[in-house]
Amino acid sequence: MTRTVHRRPARRFRPGNPRLRLRVALVAALMLLSVVGVRVLELQTIQGPTLAAAAAADRTRTVTLPAERGQITDRNGTALATTVEARNVTADQTLVEDPQAAGEALAGVLGGDPQAYAERLTGERRFVYLAKDVTPQTWERVRELAIPGVFSEPTSTRVYPAGDTAANVVGFVGAEGNGLGGMEYGFDTELAGVPGTLEYQRSARGQEIPTTAQDGTPAVPGLGVQLTIDRDVQWKAQQAIAAAVRGARADWGQVTVMAPQTGEIVALATAPTFDPNRPADTAVADRGNRAVSDAYEPGSTSKIMTMAAVLDQHKANPRSRFVVPPTLTRGGHVFHDSEPHGTLKLTLAGILARSSNIGTIQAAERIGGKTLYSYLKKFGIGEPTGLRFPGENRGALPTPAQWSGTTFPSLAFGQGLSANSVQMASIYATIANDGVRVAPNLVKGFVRADGSVQPAAAPASSRVVSAATASTVRRMLEGVVSDQGTAPQATIPGYRVAGKTGTAQRVDPDCRCYKGYVSSFIGMAPADDPQLVVAVSLSNPRNGKYGSVLAAPVFKKVMTFALQQLQIAPTGTASPRIRTTW
Amino acid sequence: MTYGYPSTIPRRTTGDVVARATGGWGYLRGLDWWLLLSALALSIIGALLVWSATRAKQISFGNDPETYFKRHLLNLAIGLVLGFFMSRVDYRLLRAYSPILFGLSVLGLLVVLSPLGQTINGTKAWIPLPAGFSIQPAEFTKIGLILVVALLLAERRDAESEPANRDILISLACFAVPAVLIMRQPDLGTALIMAVAVFGMIAVSGARTRWIVSMMAGAVAAAVAVVQLGILQTYQLQRLTAFADPDGGGRTFGYNTQQARIAIGSGGLTGEGLFHGAQTQGRFVPFNQTDFVYSVAGEELGLIGAGAIILLFGVLLWRGVRIATRASDMFGRLVAVGVLCWLSFQAFENIGMNLGIMPVTGVPLPFLSYGGTSMFATWIAIGLLQNVHLRSQD
Repeated sequence: MTRTVHRRPARRFRPGNPRLRLRVALVAALMLLSVVGVRVLELQTIQGPTLAAAAAADRTRTVTLPAERGQITDRNGTALATTVEARNVTADQTLVEDPQAAGEALAGVLGGDPQAYAERLTGERRFVYLAKDVTPQTWERVRELAIPGVFSEPTSTRVYPAGDTAANVVGFVGAEGNGLGGMEYGFDTELAGVPGTLEYQRSARGQEIPTTAQDGTPAVPGLGVQLTIDRDVQWKAQQAIAAAVRGARADWGQVTVMAPQTGEIVALATAPTFDPNRPADTAVADRGNRAVSDAYEPGSTSKIMTMAAVLDQHKANPRSRFVVPPTLTRGGHVFHDSEPHGTLKLTLAGILARSSNIGTIQAAERIGGKTLYSYLKKFGIGEPTGLRFPGENRGALPTPAQWSGTTFPSLAFGQGLSANSVQMASIYATIANDGVRVAPNLVKGFVRADGSVQPAAAPASSRVVSAATASTVRRMLEGVVSDQGTAPQATIPGYRVAGKTGTAQRVDPDCRCYKGYVSSFIGMAPADDPQLVVAVSLSNPRNGKYGSVLAAPVFKKVMTFALQQLQIAPTGTASPRIRTTW
Repeated sequence: MTYGYPSTIPRRTTGDVVARATGGWGYLRGLDWWLLLSALALSIIGALLVWSATRAKQISFGNDPETYFKRHLLNLAIGLVLGFFMSRVDYRLLRAYSPILFGLSVLGLLVVLSPLGQTINGTKAWIPLPAGFSIQPAEFTKIGLILVVALLLAERRDAESEPANRDILISLACFAVPAVLIMRQPDLGTALIMAVAVFGMIAVSGARTRWIVSMMAGAVAAAVAVVQLGILQTYQLQRLTAFADPDGGGRTFGYNTQQARIAIGSGGLTGEGLFHGAQTQGRFVPFNQTDFVYSVAGEELGLIGAGAIILLFGVLLWRGVRIATRASDMFGRLVAVGVLCWLSFQAFENIGMNLGIMPVTGVPLPFLSYGGTSMFATWIAIGLLQNVHLRSQD
């Protein structure tokens, strides 16, 4: 610098002076720089908070976190319906570079048509589904393909590990995971839980920005539902009824297994059934539970209510003598027994053992219609079971005001009223439980996420007949299963068995007339200390009709298995013999 | 000396090794370290910002998130080597070869406009090279033009007189040829930077004031003509005017600057932290590793980081003017002025468009924006400044 100054001393002011102009340039540049600096200050201190808040609101997205659906288990905790982690494979079309190659690679892992994938990957859409509910393992293999623009979202899928076992009880879910049948529907609120929310910062491409904070409320998982069903007894019952329905060429059949002291339903089998993993493969009618949704006129199995009422009112005892004519005319209608006979001299026990309609009408007439009606109500006829099953049919019991001349005699032997299979089993459970009716129930308790169990509300119980009456009815029912009765097929070696057959006229849903039969057997064991009630019915069999032939062997199979499975020992006492004739 | 080495064996420090490799202690001591360190600091801040701007996308593609960080550092290393050579090259050699350098760079611009050129973001400014690289000849044209104009205005006269009118006219012609080619790409920003550099050089060369005034008038007339005669295409005009009305262009033209200003505004005093800016990591600001890299600094490093960058450019400017003032000859002074006008105007233009006070013209921020050619050219420019500085001390 000094040299420059030395060489060219300032002689005169020259506008073109380079050093002056350099200084002017420097000042100008510094001014520009300050403008920039002031602008940065303004943006970050004055405008900043407003801009940032607006942008944050724009970026923030709230997503719903699905709550994990509770398990449905059998009484021992074995899973019947469970939720497993799954993935939906998604794509951002704008990020896919080579749809053709990506489509081929995806088809290699996910299966399907490469071209279809390529089409799903082409376009401007930021979010499309490529595959739903794939296993985490499959998604891992897709992820390893490292296709740009292919992502996944966590989801869950409902799995029924026991297949069709208890399918008609457990039910099934729809595509959105909501219960559509059975317990899945009835207890949907408890199972579903409460979805949570997640707030996150979303990038311009719609994905979560990994380094930003998250906010929200966690999802509350649904309660597990522990059923009273025993999976093994259920399985055996389904096998037995399926075989019987096939053999009898019946429309359908059901088996109900109940523990009388608790009202717990140990098995509730229907045939035909379905696979809840693929509910769409089966007709709608077979996806429900006919043991609850179908009511039928029970016929002879209903006679124990008449017998119990007569005994409870002390109007007869098992040895009371009845003269039973070949036919009986009431209300202008001639009533018959199932097989023609001459005039018979039967005891009350004999009437039940032979299942005489005429004798039962005669016995009922000792207490009268009003009294019979009140007992039928107390046994639960026409009342809902309280099982929370979708589509329950509670049956029908006409009130005395609606009665015609034939109604009372018909009701006495089980026609003119209807009940579903669970209601019928409940009648026998009441007799088995010394006359106290415990409402049927299917849920033992609710399992919280931490594994603790919240027991279900205790079922309602009410006394229907005295313990002595119940005991007497049981002894009379033992006669039915003896070789003097109608169902020797139901005997189980070593155990005392009490039960009753039914071969009822079936009301055809199409013509609303009597057409075909409902063959049934309901019984209990051990007869002197009943631990289990098994009710079997087959609707509209085309190969045979008698409950003793079609239903009693199913009872025997299921009861034998259930007694062993639940480790119920024989009582070791001898069956009393009651005179059936005089 | 009590313990350690015998006094007879000279100790060698790392500094000795570097000094020997670079040409001696004299060279290293003669460098303008303020200039070198501020440019280096800007480049390293740039590497971090580029890293932060690109990692989210890299991760989403399953690539190495540090790819751009490493490449930026590699570009810096190459730039340092080029700058080193440029600082040591003989002045006479530089004068002799500057017309050739200029000619080659103009040739490069012609190649760009030929079918060999590559179009990125609507601008045909690149020549693709093997292995995925590409160069942008316009960046080198800036250097060539500065050298040639410096040569024209400094030669054939003694230091006392003003440059001949003919030399000024030839200089303007030398500017016009590449400027027209660059406008055809179209890259208005680079042409504007060249204009500023040439204007600054002519002004400092001592040209008469009427030249200065008429050049300014010419620039205004040219701008009016360009707008009035429809030489610019509609989208170019929209892009240029978008800064004045950022919310008017919707997501097309106003969007970039709107998002950039949101990012900078979100930073506050200390910023959201490197890698933690929601606008940056969410990829809301397009081209934020190149043109809008300053928005990353604004959001993630806050006022402190954004201000530091302006300060570092201020240091660069201060040292550049000092070098130009102390230059031993007119050629060196004009080269320094040219480089200075280039770098400072480009920095102003880029930061200005990030802040929404300048139109969007797509020029990179020197040292900070990702891009090899820009990095090489700016470090060559630093090398030239150092060369002038070293020479003025002889």
